[in-house]
Amino acid sequence: MAADLKFAKTHEWVRSEANGVNTVGISSYAVEALTDLVFMQLPPVGKKVKAGESFGEIESVKAVSDLYAPISGEIVEVNTALPGKLETLGKDPYGEGWVVRIKADNPAELDNLLDRGAYESLVGSQPH
Amino acid sequence: MNTLTIWWDTAADGPTNMAADECLAAEAERRGSLLMRFYDWSTTTISLGGFQKIEDANRVGVIRGVPLVRRPSGGGAIVHGSDLTYAAAVPKSHPWGASPQAFYDALHGAMVESLAQHGIDARPYPAAGTLPPGGDGAVGSDARMVPDESRFFCFDRRAAGDLVMAGPTEGTFSKIMGSAQRRLAGVVLQHGSLLLHSNTSVDGAARHRGVADLLAEQRPIDRVALSRAWGRRIATALGGSLHEQGASFLSAHQHDIAALALRFREDRWTARR
Repeated sequence: MAADLKFAKTHEWVRSEANGVNTVGISSYAVEALTDLVFMQLPPVGKKVKAGESFGEIESVKAVSDLYAPISGEIVEVNTALPGKLETLGKDPYGEGWVVRIKADNPAELDNLLDRGAYESLVGSQPH
Repeated sequence: MNTLTIWWDTAADGPTNMAADECLAAEAERRGSLLMRFYDWSTTTISLGGFQKIEDANRVGVIRGVPLVRRPSGGGAIVHGSDLTYAAAVPKSHPWGASPQAFYDALHGAMVESLAQHGIDARPYPAAGTLPPGGDGAVGSDARMVPDESRFFCFDRRAAGDLVMAGPTEGTFSKIMGSAQRRLAGVVLQHGSLLLHSNTSVDGAARHRGVADLLAEQRPIDRVALSRAWGRRIATALGGSLHEQGASFLSAHQHDIAALALRFREDRWTARR
């Protein structure tokens, strides 16, 4: 898990890139907990999202889970290969398993997210 | 945190039931404890899993004319009307809310014990990694059941923790109970169905054997007694107390449920995939 990542309590990670663009994915903890992923629905490029709102859905054998936007902004890129290769989420969740890129409306919202240590404490306290 | 509150509701249509379950989830998050609702359907109804395609439902000719409703939860389609349907909601901060399997196993494990109390031998379907060489040898297999999400009906699929019973011929088994979840930011909603007997309102691929059809001797199954026994077992597993509500959840939340039901009545929800 890279040190430059920030995390939402709902298990999405964020990596700040250049020009206010942020790459968003799903933590390895969440992917492991969901097990046996079967479907994924992603938003269209151009969609506006607000922090804490659902921007997509992922289905495992037993559950449909919402994906929540960790920051507000516009979806500027979607990993369209991902729904056809869901195993990538497990193999490389912080690399090729990225989900969307969001152009932030307010970069200060990143300060509301957890750093790596705080996120590891959060998931360490949750029963598996 | 360690209480279980249960309501028994009267029959309602699909959109009302789905709306009531969303309301139940919001109430569980507000209360911070496990809530359950048992309910019936005003007519035979098919609930589609949250990700199932509407064209797949349209292709299954045997269900034409049967009302459809799309669940917010995952899994395959269920023909309701001869089953014990439940919804359970638990905050994610609860020990059973953290992982899909934990909640699933807790409720299904308690049902195995409750069925045993009623003289019915059911068991959980084993996880793939624990299957002996040769696949399903531990519990036998039903030719219609394959580990494949493309199967339209829930009772033709199998996943670790589904409940199965020995089938009508030696070496076969049938799935009698399955559950699926919707995992929201702060709460988990789990839907499930125990098939009490086959539904004679539908034919062919839509009709599955239920518990009563798989018993060696013909006898009725008291759904209220079974659900109450199940509630007590769940409360014991929880290590907490059980609160059985005399009033209906539907009645107590009728205005919120009526508003939430509008979305489930819309074609754009039912045909969203």
